[in-house]
Amino acid sequence: MTTTLEHATQAPAKGGGLARRQNFITAMIGGVVFAWLGWFLAHHFLDSSSRSYSDLVTTSLTIGWIFGFWLGIGALNGPGRWLIGADHTRADDLYYAGENQGRARYWKYCTDHKVVGVQYIVMTAVLLGAGGILAMAIRTELIVPGNHFVNQQIYNGFVAVHGMLMILALIVAVAGPWANFVVPIMCGARDMAFPRLNALSLWTLVGAAGLLLSVLAVGSLTMGWVVLAPISDQAGIGMDFFAMSIVVFTVSTTVAGVNTICTVMTMRTKGMTLARLPIFVWGSMIAAALGLYAFPYFSLVEAQTLMDRNFSTSFFVAGGGGTGWLQANLFWLMGHPEVYVILIPAVAALFEIASVMSRKPVFSYRTAIAGMTGLAALSILVWAHHMFTTGWAPTLGGPFMLTTELISIPTGLFFLVIIGTLWRGNIWMKQPTLWLFGFIFNFIIAGITGIYLSDIPIDNQLHGTMFVTAHFHYVFVGSVLFGAIAALAFWYPKVTGRFLDETMGRISFWLVFLGVQVTFLSMFISGLKGMPRRYSSYSLIFEHANVLTTLGAYMIMAGMLVLLGAVVRSWSHGEPAGPNPWHANSLEWLVPTPPPLENFDVLPVITEDPYNYREELVQA
Amino acid sequence: MATTNKKESLRGMFFMWALLTAIGLVISVYAPSRLMPRSMSDNMHLTILTIIVFSVAAAPVAAGVYAVALHALRHWIHRGDDVPAPASEQTREHATLTVSWVLASTLLTVFLLIWGLGALAVDNGGNGANPLVVNVTGQQWLWTFSYPGSNVQSPTLVLPEGRTVDFHITALDVTHGFWIANMGVQVDANVGTTTELHTTPNQLGQFDVRCTQFCGLNHAFMVTTGTVVTPAQFSTWLATQAKAQKA
Amino acid sequence: MKRSNAFGTALISIVLGGGALALAGFALASAAPHQAPLQCQPIAGSPGNCTLTISTYPDSLAGEHGTTGGAHADWVSYSNYNLDVPANTTVHMVIKQYDSGGSLNNAFFSHVWGTTTGTATYSIPSTDGKTYSKPAALSVVDTNNIGHTFTLRGVPGNGTPIFVSIPLPANPATNSIAIGSGTYSSPVLVSFTFKTGSKGVYEWNCEFPCGGSREGQFGEAMSSYGYMSGTVTVK
Repeated sequence: MTTTLEHATQAPAKGGGLARRQNFITAMIGGVVFAWLGWFLAHHFLDSSSRSYSDLVTTSLTIGWIFGFWLGIGALNGPGRWLIGADHTRADDLYYAGENQGRARYWKYCTDHKVVGVQYIVMTAVLLGAGGILAMAIRTELIVPGNHFVNQQIYNGFVAVHGMLMILALIVAVAGPWANFVVPIMCGARDMAFPRLNALSLWTLVGAAGLLLSVLAVGSLTMGWVVLAPISDQAGIGMDFFAMSIVVFTVSTTVAGVNTICTVMTMRTKGMTLARLPIFVWGSMIAAALGLYAFPYFSLVEAQTLMDRNFSTSFFVAGGGGTGWLQANLFWLMGHPEVYVILIPAVAALFEIASVMSRKPVFSYRTAIAGMTGLAALSILVWAHHMFTTGWAPTLGGPFMLTTELISIPTGLFFLVIIGTLWRGNIWMKQPTLWLFGFIFNFIIAGITGIYLSDIPIDNQLHGTMFVTAHFHYVFVGSVLFGAIAALAFWYPKVTGRFLDETMGRISFWLVFLGVQVTFLSMFISGLKGMPRRYSSYSLIFEHANVLTTLGAYMIMAGMLVLLGAVVRSWSHGEPAGPNPWHANSLEWLVPTPPPLENFDVLPVITEDPYNYREELVQA
Repeated sequence: MATTNKKESLRGMFFMWALLTAIGLVISVYAPSRLMPRSMSDNMHLTILTIIVFSVAAAPVAAGVYAVALHALRHWIHRGDDVPAPASEQTREHATLTVSWVLASTLLTVFLLIWGLGALAVDNGGNGANPLVVNVTGQQWLWTFSYPGSNVQSPTLVLPEGRTVDFHITALDVTHGFWIANMGVQVDANVGTTTELHTTPNQLGQFDVRCTQFCGLNHAFMVTTGTVVTPAQFSTWLATQAKAQKA
Repeated sequence: MKRSNAFGTALISIVLGGGALALAGFALASAAPHQAPLQCQPIAGSPGNCTLTISTYPDSLAGEHGTTGGAHADWVSYSNYNLDVPANTTVHMVIKQYDSGGSLNNAFFSHVWGTTTGTATYSIPSTDGKTYSKPAALSVVDTNNIGHTFTLRGVPGNGTPIFVSIPLPANPATNSIAIGSGTYSSPVLVSFTFKTGSKGVYEWNCEFPCGGSREGQFGEAMSSYGYMSGTVTVK
């Protein structure tokens, strides 16, 4: 059975019945049909005068949507056939891995990890784009005080949905495309441990995104993406859509996390000991483990909110014996580890890039692993620093201040590794390197301002102000996004066989980098001056800072549009790159571009880690 | 072939470190009090001081990282269009550096922690005898204040200078955030429970009370003014209000 | 790609993308409900004074939500939520309160705040709606019999500070009058004056919680712009 490039040019597979024709369109149809069914059943059997009527109908509708979507995309085919004793044959498996289907396989429930990786690139772009539109709406509204373009209700909805969309986008920004496309090949495996679960994680994300994007259309939310109780009770059915999208999304991350960990632990090829793994694999695994710990809290707290709204329970309703503080604790138990689930893959990718582009090994590989592991472990213990000013537990202020400030130690180790890797290297200044240097500049600011906020007296002044918003935007936009774009520029030639256009990439970099400084430095200033966050309008004393922030936001938008243009244009018109354009040594660069269906004709045997840069590599 | 960079002098890097640290120190010392609201209490004074101290401690760290990055950009970038050869130093570990780095970052963290815990322990909200009790009620979307001692209600917060004030804060519908930006104190107003703050205003003048916990539609308008007046002016105001509201 | 091609493609990306975003933004903004502001009418022979009359209804069938009452016909509403008043003017405002009521959750709002006299003038209809009580100037009303409040405030730093809060008693009348597509009884009449200063934007909302949520009752109409909340622009 050949597994070479010739696959793509053979005649497309034919026949196979309905199951083999399922794709995104049938998924949407299935989702809509079953959503309607869910709505109809609830509407028919429930008493429309009950307080929870609209919530129950909505919840029923959303459950129908996701079930129908799964049915429509073919997620239930594999388990279904196993149940009835007609399990997939080898030929079926190859079909579902997209053999001979050309471009069509990207629209289908395809188990090939490389296809899933590309689908995640598209999902990241969609989520970033939708969140970005809302960001521009927010900043345009805030260019002057007063509500000129939209009223405060619509504005508040933008703020909430922007937050959630961007968080989703960043959770998958590095892990989605690259933990899928690259990690199995780096391990020397033919695919992930559970290929069907891989496709499930991607398509479940699409289903969840559908619910989240619908929130704006059904009356939106009136609170931040944290959807604190008790105010979440005041939101309309948008809150039910939101909560269900999170419950569904947690399925996606859980499945993906299990898949990543099992792949790395069980499917490494002969000789690939843990100590010879590329550092990016370690980062992906650590982030996956942390996500497995953290995201179930999110699902739990949203499920409890749904129960409070649909079944009149009182988890978070003070009048019924509950408390909003429970919601806040459970949420932040997820919320803080989650930012490290977002950060660690980006940092791990940057470690990889720093090494390849400096032509020397990752400095102190062990420290890199210790840093990421320490960060993940400590992140479990810091959540209540988001609650310093709630009045919930003043005596716990000291302990949480301690654990939070300790986090700066493993975070500092990241700088040691990156700087140590760059030190006296022979640095290749291409796009990935450019974004790496941008990350270094931004992450220092992000980290230091985080330390300010971890100090309670300072937090008493700055909590709830734009200073906090500026801090985490330096983390998410200035650091994580820069890492994600660096990773994209780095592995783009492996996916497409072409380089991401260098000139457009540089234009994009400078627009985004300078835009980030203008936007978020002026935002720190408005926060220090006393402007609270999530304000639809503000006192005139904050006007100058806000004008600057909006101008910077437009710069970032321009830069990201140029990047999008570069990605689209380079896909078919970029400068051709060979299979190993960066002359690196990890397994993904030693397979052809694009990699064959099952990656390796013969599984390699590993005798060393990928960080030995020798003369021969230059000629390769 | 492997590059054979002769080891370039690191003097430029250290000079840049010193220069950036100096710039950072100047910003650290001068920016906070100029950007932040006018301090009207000891809490706020200590908060601004803490920000200055943290900034001063952070300046050399940031400057160090930036100096290395700038030095890298100047000296270690491969020039030319060919594929860069492997670096001449393929260093994988440097035990001394790693240990020193961990030690230094731990010491710095411990210092910041001690300062922070110390600032927390110093109860400089004021422990004046005979504190003024003010009940604060947050509701969508307005702060209302009452002075239980005198049965006076007010939409704005009037406080006497130099007297410790005990705020008892609650909310009637959702969680709100009670923040006096000029006095460095903030705590949430929660439904069904009362949270407390105390501070001692030490300057006359106006301040703003802003809601910092997203509370829905008009969250941005849940801002009200406050004034610190002399104790004599305060008694007069309180008496006038009591008479007017008894009617 | 040649350098010039790259710059060209970059420019096109920005223009096309920016255009698409602008369109999306425009669509989002247009989807928002807009109401032409109600102007405060100048009083002939009385410069520096103007008059404004609005109503509060137990549903949305009268006022600005259209003949079918809009998306939420059963929600309580103010007839106009966007009001324009001139700067440095004494505003004479009349509110016709058609709705029933209940108890406030904060007795603060049963007081009259911020008017030029410290009082508002109340005239209550009889149960059959045919006769009205003699208008009385009051500074506080029964906190357990409130229909709505009109509570107006601005953001410090944006224009002269204004704080006005007027309790609007519940309507005891039970007769029937048709207004718009709805049927109501004779309203409680409340009038008061307040002064505007420099230009600015002020927000008002009702502080009698009657919206459907389990705690605080500030959901639905109470939390939605254009029902129990609106803007006063001082021009």
